[in-house]
Amino acid sequence: MVKPTHVTNSIRALRFANGEMTQADLADRVGVTRQTVIAIEQGKYSPSLEMAFQIARAFGVRLDEVFQYPDSEEKP
Amino acid sequence: MAFLEKSNWVVLVVAVATLATYGTWTLTQALGKPVSEIGWVQPMIYSIVGFVVLNILGNVIAAATNPKEADKSDQRDREINAFGERLGNYLVIAGACVALVLTMVAADRFWIGNAIYFAGILGAMGSSVTKIVAYHGPFQKW
Repeated sequence: MVKPTHVTNSIRALRFANGEMTQADLADRVGVTRQTVIAIEQGKYSPSLEMAFQIARAFGVRLDEVFQYPDSEEKP
Repeated sequence: MAFLEKSNWVVLVVAVATLATYGTWTLTQALGKPVSEIGWVQPMIYSIVGFVVLNILGNVIAAATNPKEADKSDQRDREINAFGERLGNYLVIAGACVALVLTMVAADRFWIGNAIYFAGILGAMGSSVTKIVAYHGPFQKW
């Protein structure tokens, strides 16, 4: 439950690049609570693939422009 | 704060209050006489009914303070809820096992009834604490 996610994201930067979209606005567009957007943005929660696509769609960008998985975390 | 988190705070506060009230009464009674002579059934019923009623009232008040959030839940809420409920169920099962052993050794009804009661209350407390912690810390289903 408490293991941190290795997935990083650019949600904060994308929100500001999209007319300073608020977390509440993004939550409404994706259909989740604002607390969930905050948790995802802070890396405390990894969304499902479907939710990740919905977030990318809300910004009008590709999935890998929103979420990244660092190379150093790949298997040796 | 998400409504479901508020709801779990309500469960936790009510469970602690219920446990403290009933526990204090039971201990006070147990000091003066054998447990077989304690009239524990009626207070326990009051305690259980009080727990249910106060939870309903608490949830109604929590919903009234922010009606827009009251019916909102998402995937993360459901995952946290399922995780917390699973831990709560383990506690209830552990309590049921204790009650089973007490029955096997022909313990007084007082001990069997209270073992089940405490398992239920502790299950609710454990479940709500787990969910509250999950809401504030990192939470990954996988």
